[in-house]
Amino acid sequence: MIPPPRIPAAVEVTPSDDLAGFLFWMDEIGPGWQDVKSELTEAFTGARESAKSETSMVFIVKNDDLLGRNGPTRAMAAAGLVSAARTAALEGVSKGWTANVVAYDVIVSPAEVLGRAKFVLQNGITTGEIIHLGPGHIGKALI
Amino acid sequence: MKGTIVVTGAARGIGRVIAEKLAESGPFTVVGVDLSPELGLSEAIVPVQVDLTSESGPQQVRETVEGLGLPLLGLVNNAGITRDARLVNLTDTDFSAVLEVNLGAAFKLTTELAPLMKEGAAVVNIASRAYLGNFGQFNYSMSKGGLVGMTRALAISLAPTVRVNAVAPGLIATEMSKAIPENIREKMVSAIPLERMGTPEEIANTVWFLISPLSSYVTGEVLVVGGGRSLT
Repeated sequence: MIPPPRIPAAVEVTPSDDLAGFLFWMDEIGPGWQDVKSELTEAFTGARESAKSETSMVFIVKNDDLLGRNGPTRAMAAAGLVSAARTAALEGVSKGWTANVVAYDVIVSPAEVLGRAKFVLQNGITTGEIIHLGPGHIGKALI
Repeated sequence: MKGTIVVTGAARGIGRVIAEKLAESGPFTVVGVDLSPELGLSEAIVPVQVDLTSESGPQQVRETVEGLGLPLLGLVNNAGITRDARLVNLTDTDFSAVLEVNLGAAFKLTTELAPLMKEGAAVVNIASRAYLGNFGQFNYSMSKGGLVGMTRALAISLAPTVRVNAVAPGLIATEMSKAIPENIREKMVSAIPLERMGTPEEIANTVWFLISPLSSYVTGEVLVVGGGRSLT
C-alpha cells in the first residue's frame, strides 16, 4: 500500500487535493549518517510501494540542499533523491507511471510547491525531471 | 611534497589501479583500504583491512594515517558494491547494503580524515554515470547521487583548504563489467560514441588529475568519464 503523502505539518492539504501516487517532501534532516539513511530509506519504501501500484511519484527538495549549501547530509539526501527519481522514471516508462523531483527556493510558498508537485504527479508525461521553482539554480551547478 | 593518500576499495578493479597509479606518480605513501584479506598490492602501498561501515573502521584508517607521520594529501572514496534489482523487487537488505557501503562509508571516512588534511589536499569521490539514472539500480543510483551531493557540500565547507571533486565512470572493463552477458555488453558498447569500454587506467588518470595540483582551481565538480555515453 502506498504510504500517505509525506508533507510538512505546516503545509495545508485540503480534501480536494488529489494526491494519487507517492509524494515525499524531504525533511530538514540532522548532521549524522543515520539521518540521511533513515530519510532515504523512507523514500525508498514509499517509492517501491508506489511502483508496485503502478502510480507516479514526486520527491520535493530544496534547491539549496541540492546545491550543497546546507551541509553534506542534506545534500546527500537531496541529490540521492534526484538520482533515484531518474532511475525510477526509467523503470516506470513501460508501465505508464512517472517519477520527478520538485526543487524549490525558500522564497516559494509551500502552497505553490504542493500545487506544482500535484501537477507533476498527475500530468503523466513529465518524467525523470527536476522542476525548479524559483531562480536560485540559475548559473549554478547542474546535477 | 611528501604525504599520504588514502584509497578505499583498493584490492581490485578500479580502486587497485588508482592506488598503483598514485603510488608511482609522486612521493606519496598510499594507504590501500579494503575489506578483502588478500590485497595483493605492491610493496609501495600500505594495506589496511577494515570494514568501513563498522563503527571502528574509519577510526582505524585515521590511526594508520597518523602513524605514518606524513601530511594527508588526498582521499579517494572508491569502495562500492552493486545489488541490482528493479525497484518493485528491491529488498530492504540490498537497499541498505548498497547505501551503507557506497555512501555511508564514504561520508564517515571523509568526516574522520578531513581534520588531518592540510592546505592543498584533495578528495576524489568515485561516483558513477548511474547517478544520471540507470534501469534496475535504484539503490546504486541513489547512493552515487548522494555521493555527488556530498561532493558539492564538502567542496563548500572544506574550502579553501581542501578541494573535493567526483569522477563518474561509465562502462569500464573490470570484473564487474565482465559479469554482464556478452550480448548486453555489446549493446551497451554500441551506444558509446568512442565505441569501447573505458579502462581502469583511464579512471586512474582522471583521479590523478583531480588529486594533483594540475586541477588546483577545480572543486565541487563531477567529471563524467564515459566515452561520450551521456550524449547518445
